[in-house]
Amino acid sequence: MSKIKIGLPSKGRLKDESLAFLKSNNQEVVNSFGERNYFFNIKNNNEIDGIFLHAREIIERIYDGTLDIGISGLDLLKELPDFYSENVKIFKKLNFGFADLVVAIPKDWLDVQNMADLEEVSFEFREKYGRRMRVATKYPNLTESFFLSKGISQFRVVPSLGATESYPFTGSSELITDITSTGSTLKANNLRIINDGTILKSSACIFISKKIKKNNFLNFLK
Amino acid sequence: MKQGLEKKRLKEDLSKKILSNFKKNKFNFTDLDLLIDTNLLTERSGEQFKKFTLTYKDIFGKEISLRPDLTVSTALKYIQEKKNKEEKYCYYGSAYRLDKEGDLKISDQIGCEIINSNNNKSENILINSILESLKKIKNLEVILGDVGLFKILVESLELPARWKLRLVKNFSRKEYFEDMLKRLETNYDLDQKTIKLDTKRLQDLEKLDQNILIGGRTVFDIVKRFNKKIKDPRDNYKGKKNVKIIRDFLNINTSINKAESTILSFFSKNKLNNLFIKSYLKKISRINKEIGKKYFINFRTNFGRNNDYYTGIVFLACVKKKSTIVELARGGEYNSLLRTLGYKRDISAIGGAINLNELINL
Repeated sequence: MSKIKIGLPSKGRLKDESLAFLKSNNQEVVNSFGERNYFFNIKNNNEIDGIFLHAREIIERIYDGTLDIGISGLDLLKELPDFYSENVKIFKKLNFGFADLVVAIPKDWLDVQNMADLEEVSFEFREKYGRRMRVATKYPNLTESFFLSKGISQFRVVPSLGATESYPFTGSSELITDITSTGSTLKANNLRIINDGTILKSSACIFISKKIKKNNFLNFLK
Repeated sequence: MKQGLEKKRLKEDLSKKILSNFKKNKFNFTDLDLLIDTNLLTERSGEQFKKFTLTYKDIFGKEISLRPDLTVSTALKYIQEKKNKEEKYCYYGSAYRLDKEGDLKISDQIGCEIINSNNNKSENILINSILESLKKIKNLEVILGDVGLFKILVESLELPARWKLRLVKNFSRKEYFEDMLKRLETNYDLDQKTIKLDTKRLQDLEKLDQNILIGGRTVFDIVKRFNKKIKDPRDNYKGKKNVKIIRDFLNINTSINKAESTILSFFSKNKLNNLFIKSYLKKISRINKEIGKKYFINFRTNFGRNNDYYTGIVFLACVKKKSTIVELARGGEYNSLLRTLGYKRDISAIGGAINLNELINL
């Protein structure tokens, strides 16, 4: 019988909390091949082959069938095109990795409280500067759908790979959308979350492949 | 249903006849560019427009779209050729759009456009030229609307300027427009608590150099809009009342010969300022006098909202086939389109096109 392949986040708090979650369910991760090796096993469980991957890649690998199970963020699945959800199913929402994807503006934009205000400011940009308002983000798809659902069409997404909070102050965008758990990084960078600007409430989830067969390991994770 | 070669021959014959009609009315044939700089489309209609266009990147990374619309192509032609006087164009070609499922839909169109005309009969000339080619069709129906009337209605309502802007700018987005009316009804707009907190910060901002940019906006713009917003409140009662007026207005559906009197009595019944409305309605009256006697024209205030570049008169020629409406031709005024595509100012423009694919299937 072939082994069940599981992917876990390779770094950060998501990795630590995933390991703690498995341990609390009597599925302790052991680095049999050394601390720096990406492969792992589960103590006293020969049915599992594990690998540490980037959280984004875990979903990709479940989608293409390389992995059967993985722990990653809900935000990362939702950002991908709808057809990913056909192969990647949410098995369980976990009690960690909580974060919101939010719309944040420079804190001194006093006149902007909600998305309706932002809609007006977007018209102002169009009229005054002859261009669309720019939104920097690592989540272009979720951002675009949310803005359109709130009636904002005059905007342009600026893809960001990191340090998104700096974009409005370097002239690269006017506002941003970003993932935040406490809002403190946004605040420290002179940004403010818009009242009705929560795009998605995310948490860590156990994702499984649509093709996965019934197995004991999943019972342990329930 | 006609097939293959027969369809092609029929299309060619029809297009020759229609084009010769247009040329008789002094429209000049023009070849339109097949490709459009995607940026021009998204800068005016927003990023979502890309979802409806077949777009690719050239070797320099520039995004190019197959023309989704022949009116936009004609407007671009006018700008590229650096025209500054009246031009009457006619064309024959295909428009390429993706439907909701992402499948490419090709529509063969033959149309005409009048750009930068001072002639107050240009609407009549254009609509007549389009309808002339369809006049032999049995049970032809014409629907007329005027999206400019909605703007006049909104201007006459007691509403904060920000709401007027929102309503007018989103008139073409029906679903979102409905959401907005609900928001207006329930007064979901200003959060008084936040305003109090922000007013303290306002004093600091006022002390700054007003030209400093914060997130791409000047301090002056932020302060100005904030002050305008807090001095421009409204109450629930007016929100509800205004929404009712808007909904009632959008239900007006009458024959064209009653359109002028119906709209005037609507304004007077609702005690709306009707200073401009009388002169504005002259256009509809002219269309009624000249075209209304030849065709049955239905006037609807809710018609013509499918396209965000229409600014005034909009029309549709159609026939009913069983329970479906077959759209044979449509068009309208687009007085702001050229400026948003790069022309130095707004200029009058009107155009319309016949859908050959539907016409040959009749």
